[in-house]
Amino acid sequence: MHKKPLSKQIYDARWCYLFVLPCSILTGMFVIYPIGMSWYFSLLDWSGFTKEAKFIGLQNYYEAVNDEFFWDAFIRSFIFMFGTVPVKIVLGFIIAVFLNNQVLKLAPFFRTVIFMPVVTAIAIIGIVMTFVFSPFNGPANKFLMSTNLTSAPIDFLGNPDTVLPTVMGVYVWKWLGITMMYWLAALQTVPQDVYDAAKIDGAEGYRLWIHIILPIVLPFAIVIILVEAVGALNVFPLIETMTAGGPFFSSEVMEIYIFRTAFVTDSGTMPRLGYACAAGVFWGVAVLFITVLQGLWMRRTRRI
Amino acid sequence: MKKKKELKISRRTVMKGALAAGAMMSAGSIPSKLFAGEYNIPDPLKPLPTTGGNMRWIDSGDMKGVFWKKLFPEYAASRGITIEYDGLPWKEINKIVPIAIRNGTVHDVFQLPLGMDPGVAVAEGWVQPWDDYIENIDEWLAAFPSGVYLPGVNQFNGKTYGTCLTANKRTGTCLLYSEKYMSEAGYDPQAGRMTYSEIRDAAKKITKNGNGQYYGWIIGGNQVNRWEDVVHTFGQVGGAHSGRGGFTNRHINFQNGKFQIASDQYMEAVELLLQLKSDGSAFPGVMSMNAPQARALMPQGAAGMIFQGPWCIGVWGRDAPDWKYGIASEPVPDGKEAQPLYIAEGGSNTFWLSANSTMGPFAGDLIRFMGTEQGQIYWAQTVGAADPAVNPDAVAKAGLTGPSAQALSMFAENILVGPNPIVRNKDVGVVAAKSRVPDPSLALVIQGLYTGQLKGVEAQLKDCNQRYEDALDKAVEEARADGANVTRDDWVFPNWDVYSNYGAEKYQEL
Repeated sequence: MHKKPLSKQIYDARWCYLFVLPCSILTGMFVIYPIGMSWYFSLLDWSGFTKEAKFIGLQNYYEAVNDEFFWDAFIRSFIFMFGTVPVKIVLGFIIAVFLNNQVLKLAPFFRTVIFMPVVTAIAIIGIVMTFVFSPFNGPANKFLMSTNLTSAPIDFLGNPDTVLPTVMGVYVWKWLGITMMYWLAALQTVPQDVYDAAKIDGAEGYRLWIHIILPIVLPFAIVIILVEAVGALNVFPLIETMTAGGPFFSSEVMEIYIFRTAFVTDSGTMPRLGYACAAGVFWGVAVLFITVLQGLWMRRTRRI
Repeated sequence: MKKKKELKISRRTVMKGALAAGAMMSAGSIPSKLFAGEYNIPDPLKPLPTTGGNMRWIDSGDMKGVFWKKLFPEYAASRGITIEYDGLPWKEINKIVPIAIRNGTVHDVFQLPLGMDPGVAVAEGWVQPWDDYIENIDEWLAAFPSGVYLPGVNQFNGKTYGTCLTANKRTGTCLLYSEKYMSEAGYDPQAGRMTYSEIRDAAKKITKNGNGQYYGWIIGGNQVNRWEDVVHTFGQVGGAHSGRGGFTNRHINFQNGKFQIASDQYMEAVELLLQLKSDGSAFPGVMSMNAPQARALMPQGAAGMIFQGPWCIGVWGRDAPDWKYGIASEPVPDGKEAQPLYIAEGGSNTFWLSANSTMGPFAGDLIRFMGTEQGQIYWAQTVGAADPAVNPDAVAKAGLTGPSAQALSMFAENILVGPNPIVRNKDVGVVAAKSRVPDPSLALVIQGLYTGQLKGVEAQLKDCNQRYEDALDKAVEEARADGANVTRDDWVFPNWDVYSNYGAEKYQEL
């Protein structure tokens, strides 16, 4: 069969291209162009708002990979991810299982309560939590002291040993509702017939969940983990409002590191947008790598 | 029944009114006396545009904000414009202004981020000179004390780009204390400058008296510059003579042009902070609060002492008028005489006019008024010692009393004008633009030592000092590569007598 020339094919599908055009333009403006420019900026020695920008090749990358604070922040981002995602996945699943039970009359109420932090502005939560965890009259410390769990107030956000776990805890609480909703959506795809058939076959309790329901929702789990993992690597507003990466970098994750180097800091240093872009590109590639790995894992799981 | 008299307005009356209004508008000004208020705002020296508009203004707030919020509505009403004011902490200014400059939305009048070289702002075309908007600017400038307006600092290419209404003769680390707690601890800072041992002992006693309800000392520890400010000023009081200002001035001993970070005096100051912590005298949670939060806890009775600036006076006066507190000079290391503190020539709170601003005539008119003696008196009466008015006569006439007056007299006694490399060689500005405070900065190092994440005061300060030396060397090298005529010798002032002001004649001697 004779194949049409490309120009003819495009002409024939002109309406399709026309409808795709607005989206393509917007994607180009707000996704492709910024990504491309950040790659370009990462090759410059540039503060970001002066005319003077010197091309320095890969020097920013070289400096970044030799900076211990860069790697500390890099590793801390993954600690944050590995510390929060499993908790959210497991906790979200357990809550979803309970709230998916039609017998539980108050399920909508609990769903709403657990989902409420998700719709609250993250900056507000960050600021409020600094008061909640304040060692002076903060409710968290008041509770611990009144129940004799501690004899002295704990500086949750000022102690390098407690700051990251505290922020991670707030993050889990803030976003648990959305994980629960993902799981609820997944669980609601399991047909009632499956439950009925399992019961007839004598599968109940944990056996029903482990052997019947879990394999069905497993592909969803992969997607949920992927979404959650990428989400846990994007925690800038919460950390900036709660600790700004302190004390002494204890809670500085990659986004805070990039922000700090891209703008003037408390120390009055000049910003370094070129260097920050290099760190950002490096970080973006790392996140992309993880996403690809997870994608491959998902495909493999589906085949099984 | 008596007929109520009706207000009749004839067409002729309306036309007369319209003509009168038109004449007033065409004259270009609206008499300010129409708007009776707290301030007597004079008419502009030359007609202002009648098109109105919105003037946006951003600065570091605090007591400045208190004053502007009172003055701006009156000024705006008298000139037929609106004014949008944003008074934000420096931390926010440092983030917002660069972004706004970058995307072309910076306020009409703004302050440059801390540490940013003004020469860069001028060279990049972000700002425009005030000369066209401040009527008779030469006469106006002549009324300021000498050394406020200087080439390379706020004047460039023969024009005035930065306006200063306030003096920089102040410190941000005075000893502010609760009179009650301090007296219960058996100390009176008014009797004489306290030593480090006395501060430590007083803090211990206050903490003991507080029995868990209040503590000896507090600091806004997550605002890292507070650590650096305390150590820097205490180090100077101890005898580490060094400059103040941006990276190219701060911590540098102009006798030899070297950083003082690893000096004994800095180490002693850091040790004092660590001892306050190890004694259990520090308020729990200092690492999770910023300076304004720490300041706000003082009148609540949470702590006995804080090392802060005179801007607390106005805030406490407003928020806790009945709370009794005192202000005193920074403490001195045991067995030592307090040494002078130094400021660079120039004013403080420099205001810059955006190059894109169309509100220049109004901004210039307002700044001109604020630079007059009457404007300075108004400023001093509200802002007090927090940001002292630059005109000493106006300060004297403002009738300040209490802590404000005491703070000003303390500053006059303790602070001298030190050398400023940029006044000696304007190419130092190029170095400033190339400078990068090394990571971790001194502020962060002290914070890390305090939290225990860094160990060994001496080793850490020595490392930090070396980083600063290397950073300045690198900046000088880069500036020279770009054609700047500058060397590290520009930071050496062999004729600097640390006990006297460094004036114009000293620069000529070099």
